[in-house]
Amino acid sequence: MLAELLQGTDTGGFLVIQDSCSCSGRTLLKSLINAALNREETVHVLCFDVSEEELKDGLKTSVTQRLHIHNAYIDPLGWSDHPAFTVHQFNLVELTHLVKQTSHTKPATLVIDSLSWILRHVSSPAVCKTLQQLKKGGAVRAIIGLLHADMHQRGTVGSVCHLANSVITVAPGTKGDEATAKLTKRSKSGKVLQDEEIFSINEDLTVTVQSKPSNPEHKQSDTIEQQVDPTANLTFNLRLSDTERKAKEKLALPFVFSKEKKTALLHSGPGSGRILYEPDANDDYDQEDPDDDLDV
Amino acid sequence: MAAPMNSVGKLLAERSPFNSTSFQKKTRSKLISIPGTRPSVQNGQLLVSTGVTSLDYLLGGGLAVGTVLLIEEDRYDSYSRMILKYFLAEGVVCRHELFVAAAQDNPDDILQELPAPILDDVVIPKPMEQPRLSCDPQDSLDAMKIAWRYQNLPKVQSALASSSRFGHYYDVSKTMDPEIRQAAKCHCFYLPEHSPPSSTTHSPMLESYSALLKSLQEVIHREGFDLTTPMSKSRNILRVGLHSLGSALWGDDLSCHDNPRHRHTLTTFLYGLRALLRSSLSVAVVTVPSHLIQDRALMGSITRLCDNAIALESFNGSERETNTLYKDYHGLLHVHQVPHLNCLASQLPDHKDLAFKLKRKQFSIESLGFSCSLIPAEG
Repeated sequence: MLAELLQGTDTGGFLVIQDSCSCSGRTLLKSLINAALNREETVHVLCFDVSEEELKDGLKTSVTQRLHIHNAYIDPLGWSDHPAFTVHQFNLVELTHLVKQTSHTKPATLVIDSLSWILRHVSSPAVCKTLQQLKKGGAVRAIIGLLHADMHQRGTVGSVCHLANSVITVAPGTKGDEATAKLTKRSKSGKVLQDEEIFSINEDLTVTVQSKPSNPEHKQSDTIEQQVDPTANLTFNLRLSDTERKAKEKLALPFVFSKEKKTALLHSGPGSGRILYEPDANDDYDQEDPDDDLDV
Repeated sequence: MAAPMNSVGKLLAERSPFNSTSFQKKTRSKLISIPGTRPSVQNGQLLVSTGVTSLDYLLGGGLAVGTVLLIEEDRYDSYSRMILKYFLAEGVVCRHELFVAAAQDNPDDILQELPAPILDDVVIPKPMEQPRLSCDPQDSLDAMKIAWRYQNLPKVQSALASSSRFGHYYDVSKTMDPEIRQAAKCHCFYLPEHSPPSSTTHSPMLESYSALLKSLQEVIHREGFDLTTPMSKSRNILRVGLHSLGSALWGDDLSCHDNPRHRHTLTTFLYGLRALLRSSLSVAVVTVPSHLIQDRALMGSITRLCDNAIALESFNGSERETNTLYKDYHGLLHVHQVPHLNCLASQLPDHKDLAFKLKRKQFSIESLGFSCSLIPAEG
């Protein structure tokens, strides 16, 4: 599933990478940015956590005209006179304006590094509202956010992940350069897919999925039942040969009248008998209610 | 034998499409008879069906009019949303009015996803086809070879059943026909479309909840569900579905922080909602993402403020998924509260360990360990 997520989230999708101090998710984030750039997409990055140089390190320099980094690392709270991007600019209006300024024909992918920074300075309901508006609006094609799960209360992490279409939780793996990823993907129909994979990230920021973790597979594959033909393997014959079928169709059924008699019976004139029923007071005898005739 | 059959056939053909018999039950009771409701056998309250027959049984026959059902959502909000859709679909089938409020998804989208009712129980208000008296006899007679006497009868679909039947079954693999859905009147409240007015008065409720409560009050008053107004025309029930109250998208930080600043906003709203419902012919289903709310005391007070409360715990993604005991089910269902309306003791369900399974044509709730359905056999 990790490979599918790398190939591109669906339009209007929100992907959250949850990491902790034991295992950083930034390299996975960079590989996602790399994959998006390779797909000829425009990528806008809101850079809060690390400096621009550190983020650009490892990304191919040839494609940087499609990569727009908004440096919020220098002055995120707007203390100086001309901040590049502040945390208070994280709302629908400003972000749409930002993305539309430098956008090309296709809507852009927005990468947020990291959501934790924003959540510390803007209230969680406001952040959730902005994320939901970005998801629904057409300015941004997909949103990828990095969230440090150990920095926030469980409710906050839960609320943000509740909005997400896919969540990748990275944890340290057994070997040195490997990490385990727990993936949860919610499709539009409401179906939830879960997976756990071991991956490692190469020098050129491509991801190699190693294998499933060593726990045995709990899920059993659905056995496709063969369609059993009940008429096979019987001691008597249920099939009809052609002559038998013709004889069956020629059989005259009882109460089958000629066409004239049928039409006469179906479309009879007003002279035939009718049943006129007018319900009487005595007729309302309800079998279930024995006291129905009491005058209470 | 041919003549009487024919005359009955003609008689049926002449009647209105929705009445296949002339039988009318004599009712002497003073209860207002509204389609889709029935009085409770325990305490005489007027009950409506939630759309899920096994849930009706758990709640003591159905949901009493004027009460609130709280559904604590499962982790990915799949089954709680399904029950909300069943509730709204039941309203469409019983011709009740609907009021849907949501902050995350547009209520119109929720209404598009309603499951299709299983057709032979529902009368579809289509214009009846006239019996074909003047059509080409060749075609009409060839259509039915053996049952040709029923040729000219109109296609009646158990008309009497829909008004007296309580609780329908739905097929979740199909969505409801737009014609059926549009026959029901729906009022929608989508939070992003309601711009919050600048509140000068200090209110214990958030603007979003106040706006919702005001909108609901206005609908109840305007459409005549209020019990205080004199009964002018025939009464109907308003079904209120509120999706994911308490989530961050309503502006509430109840689900975000361990010590929320807005501690009393949702509880105040629920108090106001219940007061509104008690004085009108409405019934509400509220879903709350309780897995995000860390403060258990607050969750307890939210539960106390609603009359019925159930919690869904789905096995999707939890470690219980692999437990052999749970392999036939989709999740556990906990009943946290049953109402005691106008009586001293309430009817508690017999079984405490309940599990649910969403099958294609039924949402079944069973007692764990006994794979029998909760609904006793009708007989």
